[in-house]
Amino acid sequence: MTEGPLIVQSDRTLLLEVDHELAEDCRRAVAPFAELERAPEHIHTYRVTPLALWNARAAGHDAEQVVDTLLRYSRYAVPHGLLVDIAETMARYGRLRLDKHPVHGLVLHALDRPVLEEVLRSKRVAPLVGARLDDDSVAVHPSERGHLKQVLIRLGWPAEDLAGYVDGEAHPIELRTQDWSLRPYQREAADSFWHGGSGVVVLPCGAGKTLVGAAAMATAQATTLILVTNTVAARQWKHELLRRTSLTEDEIGEYSGQRKEVRPVTIATYQVLTTRRKGVYAHLELLDARDWGLVVYDEVHLLPAPIFRMTADLQARRRLGLTATLVREDGREDDVFTLIGPKRYDAPWREIETQGWIAPADCVEVRVTLTEHERLLYATAEPDERYRLCSTTETKTRVVESLVARHAGEPTLVIGQYLDQLDDLAARLDAPVVKGGTTIRERERLYAAFRAGEIGCLVVSKVANFSIDLPEASVAVQVSGTFGSRQEEAQRLGRVLRPKADGRTARFYAVVARDTLDAEYAQHRQRFLAEQGYAYRIVDADDLLAGDEA
Amino acid sequence: MAAEPSTAPRSLASALRARDDQWLAVLLRRRPDLLTPVPLDIGQLAARAATRHSVVRVLDRLDRLHLQVVDALVELPEPVTYDALRGLLAIPAEVLRPVVDRLGDLALLWGPDEELHLVRAVRELVRPRSGSPSIVELQPPAPAPRRRELASADRTATMAATETVRRVEALLEHWAAEPPPRLREGGVGVRDLRRTARALDLDETTTALLVEIVHAAGLVALSATFDGDWLPTPAYDAWRREPVAQRWTVLGEAWLSTSRAPALVGERDDRGRPAPALAPGLDLPPAADIRRVTLEALATLPAGGAAELAEVTAVVGWHRPRRGGARRDALVRWTLREAEALGVTGQGALASYARALVRGELAGCRAALDRLLPVPLDHVLLQADLTAVAPGPLRAELARELQLLADVESTGGATVYRFGADSLRRAFDAGRGAGEVHAFLRGASRTPVPQPLSYLVDDVARRHGRLRIGSAAAFVRCDDESVLAEILSDRRSRGLLLHRLAPTVLAAQVAPETLIERLRSMGFAPVVEAADGSVVVPRTAQRRAPARPQPQPSPGQRLASDDTVAAAVRAVRAGDRTARHRPADAPPLGLARSASMQALATLQAAALSGESVWIGYVDRHGSTSERVVDPIRVDGGWLTAYDHRSGEVRTFAVHRVSAAAVLS
Repeated sequence: MTEGPLIVQSDRTLLLEVDHELAEDCRRAVAPFAELERAPEHIHTYRVTPLALWNARAAGHDAEQVVDTLLRYSRYAVPHGLLVDIAETMARYGRLRLDKHPVHGLVLHALDRPVLEEVLRSKRVAPLVGARLDDDSVAVHPSERGHLKQVLIRLGWPAEDLAGYVDGEAHPIELRTQDWSLRPYQREAADSFWHGGSGVVVLPCGAGKTLVGAAAMATAQATTLILVTNTVAARQWKHELLRRTSLTEDEIGEYSGQRKEVRPVTIATYQVLTTRRKGVYAHLELLDARDWGLVVYDEVHLLPAPIFRMTADLQARRRLGLTATLVREDGREDDVFTLIGPKRYDAPWREIETQGWIAPADCVEVRVTLTEHERLLYATAEPDERYRLCSTTETKTRVVESLVARHAGEPTLVIGQYLDQLDDLAARLDAPVVKGGTTIRERERLYAAFRAGEIGCLVVSKVANFSIDLPEASVAVQVSGTFGSRQEEAQRLGRVLRPKADGRTARFYAVVARDTLDAEYAQHRQRFLAEQGYAYRIVDADDLLAGDEA
Repeated sequence: MAAEPSTAPRSLASALRARDDQWLAVLLRRRPDLLTPVPLDIGQLAARAATRHSVVRVLDRLDRLHLQVVDALVELPEPVTYDALRGLLAIPAEVLRPVVDRLGDLALLWGPDEELHLVRAVRELVRPRSGSPSIVELQPPAPAPRRRELASADRTATMAATETVRRVEALLEHWAAEPPPRLREGGVGVRDLRRTARALDLDETTTALLVEIVHAAGLVALSATFDGDWLPTPAYDAWRREPVAQRWTVLGEAWLSTSRAPALVGERDDRGRPAPALAPGLDLPPAADIRRVTLEALATLPAGGAAELAEVTAVVGWHRPRRGGARRDALVRWTLREAEALGVTGQGALASYARALVRGELAGCRAALDRLLPVPLDHVLLQADLTAVAPGPLRAELARELQLLADVESTGGATVYRFGADSLRRAFDAGRGAGEVHAFLRGASRTPVPQPLSYLVDDVARRHGRLRIGSAAAFVRCDDESVLAEILSDRRSRGLLLHRLAPTVLAAQVAPETLIERLRSMGFAPVVEAADGSVVVPRTAQRRAPARPQPQPSPGQRLASDDTVAAAVRAVRAGDRTARHRPADAPPLGLARSASMQALATLQAAALSGESVWIGYVDRHGSTSERVVDPIRVDGGWLTAYDHRSGEVRTFAVHRVSAAAVLS
């Protein structure tokens, strides 16, 4: 019996024993065809999905390699059915091919005629294809390239896309690396994206995804459209690009609610693209405003559904998705893969942390016991009021106060969901608050002051969940969240993960009311982090206040 | 047959008679159909062995070589000589001789070499072919084995074997909880099978296979109820306690010898209905034989050798040419598929332990499999995401306990368990305590128990059983705790089964009335509380019947009129007369209708004469009475008469009149 690090389960999950001496080799070997699902301390779980297998095929791996990898590293016999299944699944890829055609533009070409006949009979394919050119090929309108690929994947006959990409309008972009350099993993991520053509790069918050984008732009040397979640994020991208690349103020445009600039590099918000006027998307023409050579999607897991549909039309352009987590609360991870592209690179948080690129984090769940009165109030509250009630209790506020006091002098963020709670906290902590209503100018002023160390503590609502850059935050206290949202938790933890000048360990506190919905949701949120290898330490608020716990 | 006595036997019977007991025993083992029922004598045995039915069975199991010799024997005129046979067939003697001997051993052929007789039924069944005999195929086709590393094939097979055992256990546990009902025509419904397959996370074909095997192994049967549900049998409980190797051997043996074809489940019949599992129609007589021959064909390959389906089919075709072609080939295909699924083969090669199984050496199979099974682990890996991973098979008691504490998330070489509030609650419901669970987790894990897990255990434990539910027949409430203490300590309260729920509440297991009475007798003054807590003041303590409408007075209670009184007197008189005039020879009352004929005559006579008659009468309830009546008429079995006692004309059933006498 070989003592391999991998155990292949009958439900197509792969269990990888992390402490095994071959674990690292094995991880590299299975990564191309299996998705990492969970990475807690001892055993990592990967899942072999058809999509992952097809992505592997697209990346040039064949079934024999996959089977060989499984057999080589597996501790026990690999279920024969699974091996057969892998071979069959992978053989389905590439029976159909999307080719460029000098006359018809785009052509769906079959290497296996019955497959073509089968898919052409599907109701979903019929409207996407044009005239039948000969027995083995059919014309496809270029704008349906994405739709067709998506539908073919659903039908189980993924097409190999050989139609390539348009180069787009050339535009010189250089990385200015006088005082900094790309980290190895950023380089690797940008390279594997470029070789793959299109796809998603998964890196933890604070690992410098913006720079991966910049590196991709520098490789593309073409006009670029960057789609981000909000205006603040747009400004930060601009700031970062100005600092790190040869691009100048005049070359970078902002396309948001306030400004509508279209320049060689244009940063647009999701919101402005999805704004509808009289039922039509008012700013859709932006996508065709220039001959973009690269489209970058920031925080791709938040990509709204309409943008998915628009993306389907952009298949001829290179697309780069950036995200910290592919967990979508709406479960549409597959759409990301099919429309933007397969995952091209990912690195577990832990790994980047051990390399020192992100700060080590200490996650602490502070359990608060509510007072008799609060519990009674909670017990008799209306169901839809309960969560609000338990997450904004006075007892929690006091614990937050003492936590902030404990970390006085360290840049601290207090993150919450309910505005009146945040206002109350801000007043008690004598700290400014950033929320939805805060003007952009004020926000930027506060962020700058926080960055400069003029403000020691900042109270933020969920507007700060994404894409704000607070480099020196080393303590975060979460008082309430959006129910059980896992990706919100990941984002918030990301706030404190940027490496600290003094190599300090970041602290992430979640203050949770015991025996209430709050605790239930907290458990759900934390599961994601535990699966990423960040286990929560649980501390009782009373012990913490008594000073037993440093 | 060279050793035959010189005097040639004149019939099959005499040929058999000449054989020794051991030879007969071998014959009966090879042709078991001759045994049922046990023949009375050799004559009967020979007659049975010569029947078409029995001969077909033997012929069906002959390989191509033997059948070709039979063909030649059929073609030659009776009696056949060995030399003539040799002359017809170009087969070397060292091949032909054993074939002829074997045909003799099967009682198809008898007589000495010079005078060989073929059992007549064989001639009828095997049509002589015109022309020269076909080219003789001496050997089965030899598949070119694809070499597998035996260790690797064994590993794959062992894995499948372990999976099979686990799945069978899951299947039967599932059926124990939700037994599928028996269909009217027998078997398990298609929908039930689909549901089971879904619960086991299997495809329907494999599920049907497992269902058929557990049935063949006697691990499942119909419940004793009228309609019947499919339920695990007590044999399952015994099976479950066996080690994995033994459990698999039981299943493997059951599969090998079942005459049913599980692959037929779901095949549509003429009317397009899919065949249900465990239904009667799935028996295919050649199934067990073809299955065995298929595996034997694999067993002829070198260890670790696998063969293509077509090759195996050809080999089986050579061994069983008379078995139906398409069905036979299907059976071979199914056998190979099922063998792979069950762990009889791995990567198409017969597992080393399965060779023993095919040879019928069950103990050898068990031991060989046991050696291949990974050593059960005594630990799991606990992780902060509230999962436990068992990186291999677990020791049975550890697995059982984990299954209680956590839900299985993924199975295979390893097992992934997930702890959750619900799964832990299940354990607490089963009587585990928080301390016990902590100790178990510490013992089962080599690494420290992750903090979130121990917190989860404590959290669930804290909430578990916080609400208590019980039943009491009555309760005693008192604001003064000392009074309740006094009641409790009083010896006389023992029979009330009092239990202190709270300082001010006692629960009792007796009815409130009893409780009140007993407490009164102990010198207390309790009052009764209504459901809403208010005090119920009983109006009186007297007992009353439930209210009902006032009854109408019966005639006797009305103020008696003169007429009535007169009638009463008449009745009394009549009664009096009855007593006085009872004839001395009147039969004792209640003596049924011993004299009913006579009574009838008396009554008829009295009806004509208008005399008064004394009668004994048994009413509908069986009670007897004596009356004096004036008969008016007797017909249709009824006596109509004026009854002196009631003073009215009534009818009496004649057959109830036990005696009658005319009053003078």
